[in-house]
Amino acid sequence: MFLPQRYIYSTLLFTFMSTAVFSQNSVLSEPQKDIIDIAHEQLFAVINKDQNTVYVVNFWATWCQPCVEELPDFMEVNKHFAKDENFKMYLVTLDFARKKKELVIPFIQKNDIRAEVLLLDDNKRMNTWISLIDKSWSGALPATLIYKNGKSLFFKEGNMDKNELITQISKHL
Amino acid sequence: MKKLLILLVAGLFFVSFTNPKISTSKGYDIGDKATDFELKNVDGKMVSLADYTEAKGFIVIFTCNHCPYSIAYEDRIIALQDEFGPQNYPVIAINPNDPEVNPKDSFELMKVRATEKQFNFPYLFDEGQKIFPQYGATRTPHVYVLNKENGENIVRYIGAIDNNHADANDVSEYYVKDAVNALIKGEKVKTDVTKAIGCSIKVKK
Repeated sequence: MFLPQRYIYSTLLFTFMSTAVFSQNSVLSEPQKDIIDIAHEQLFAVINKDQNTVYVVNFWATWCQPCVEELPDFMEVNKHFAKDENFKMYLVTLDFARKKKELVIPFIQKNDIRAEVLLLDDNKRMNTWISLIDKSWSGALPATLIYKNGKSLFFKEGNMDKNELITQISKHL
Repeated sequence: MKKLLILLVAGLFFVSFTNPKISTSKGYDIGDKATDFELKNVDGKMVSLADYTEAKGFIVIFTCNHCPYSIAYEDRIIALQDEFGPQNYPVIAINPNDPEVNPKDSFELMKVRATEKQFNFPYLFDEGQKIFPQYGATRTPHVYVLNKENGENIVRYIGAIDNNHADANDVSEYYVKDAVNALIKGEKVKTDVTKAIGCSIKVKK
């Protein structure tokens, strides 16, 4: 399988950053100052990293109003499970990669986003990876995946609130 | 380096052993008969598919003002009408959003956008949001290519316009163009359902 070279470089960078900069804890000590662009292969690599970890992956974008509205609930949930070493939240943005510095980084700074943000920049293969995430996903944002040990445990296209998230996550921790 | 390799291998393993199955939730599947409608255009006139007596089919696109993905495709939608309108597969754009949820998608602002961009196709307002659920549209932009067969409008393609919203110059799959060209030639549409990220259609909670 062909992997563009830039993705290989960013995987290298990603591996470095995720071990060197970010702690195991799902709540970051401060909002990120940079975000890595990844392809879907890397996203799957990230959520397959540890088989005991429950990964919560929220797909969002700064321009997506319902996404932005539910982020405070995601932040609370991330704090709620902060002490559990088998919990990790990723906020995967579908913002345009070229708008990262202009839109996404200022957004996460301003809103004090303390869950790890990744930018999924894999436009030309959307028709492949949307179904890989979940075959029921039409591609509309927001969407949320709960994933553990190579398996999707829960997927929802549409908004989630704090209680619904805690209920779904608690089933698997 | 070892860790990188493990990551890559894990990713590749996952991808190669997962079989993507495309499914559409509610709404139309390929081969279904599409409903007609009577919706208000930005020029104030009501528009129905039945008005197009010469049409051999339609490119129905659920799109809107506010969504960056829709905006990114505006020029390409105009180009689709330029190419396929004269071949009797006209573009019909429909805004499915409730403007009370997103005020940028109001009928008044639809008129403004249509004028600014000089839309060469009708831009209709799905007032009361009765049409998009019948089609099964979930996001903007979301395209339904219809083909006239025995007097009915049959759904022959559902999905994205092409495979690169971010850069019109770096597209490698022209889904809608290929679908309509196949129909014009009387051939089967090869890729008839595709998925893409889009803005959810805005409905009151």
